Amino acid sequence: MKKYLLTMIIIFGLTAAVSADTIKATVNGMVCGFCATGIEKTFRAQPEVKTVDVDLENKLVTIHTKQGQTLDDAKIKKLLGNAGYSVVALVRGK
Amino acid sequence: MKTTTLLALLLATFSTALVSEAKPLSYVGGTMVMQENDETGHTISLDYTFIPTNAFGLYVKQEENGKDILMVTPEFNTLLKRWNLPDGQGNIFNMSGAGLAHYRDNNQPCLWTAFLADYESRRWFFSYEPRFVWDGNIEKSVWQRARIGIAPYLANYNDLNTWIMFQVDHHPAKHDHFVATPLIRFFYKTYLFEVGYSSNQHIMVNWQIQF
Repeated sequence: MKKYLLTMIIIFGLTAAVSADTIKATVNGMVCGFCATGIEKTFRAQPEVKTVDVDLENKLVTIHTKQGQTLDDAKIKKLLGNAGYSVVALVRGK
Repeated sequence: MKTTTLLALLLATFSTALVSEAKPLSYVGGTMVMQENDETGHTISLDYTFIPTNAFGLYVKQEENGKDILMVTPEFNTLLKRWNLPDGQGNIFNMSGAGLAHYRDNNQPCLWTAFLADYESRRWFFSYEPRFVWDGNIEKSVWQRARIGIAPYLANYNDLNTWIMFQVDHHPAKHDHFVATPLIRFFYKTYLFEVGYSSNQHIMVNWQIQF
């Protein structure tokens, strides 16, 4: 039983370690698709990022990272700031 | 007609006829080419944004409807203030350049500076731009431009965006002191295109590409 539990813990641990992040950033000031293109280009240039979706209606930028990689909050805020916008909330999921 | 010939013809047409009121900064590392052809003349600028608040580039303008002055200057654009709001964004920019002006075999140093204040939501657009130009002993001029726009539908990021706009120019030193230009703006991703027709019967065609 102990062996079984240990195996399960290791498997779950490894899965978590190599899984990708989905980060949803709520952004103020993002009203223009032409301007928001900078967000897409900026994040796509990051090696950790797999895809980026921009949703003007909900003021949401959704970033999917590659397997086993992540972006920390400070970097996300900096990148969105460089693109000209302000982050008001960050929500992470797997 | 070959595609390349068609593209060359289109570019040639744009380069002799256009104007825009777009932001003079893109994103860090972004380059922007903008061409404006309107009743004031023909402008082309190339800007590179190197930090979130500044871009530099090259500005070339061939003026018309007065003295046909050619200006060539480096350009420096600064974001002075930005308000990122839940449903809108407001900005104040300064754009400035110093270089050479050419008029009838006469070359003079020139300076120009402009301030652009804008507010944009997904539905509304407002801007105001005063511009000051000093072309040595050729000409000194001050003019201003205001623009209002409304989006007939709320487009999302991957949609074609359409704006119906109205622009008013005030040129105290020119024959037509006030010029009104209704125009329509389209943009999709990194491509922006505007076309209008002014009250003094000039076609406006502007385009901008970010890459």
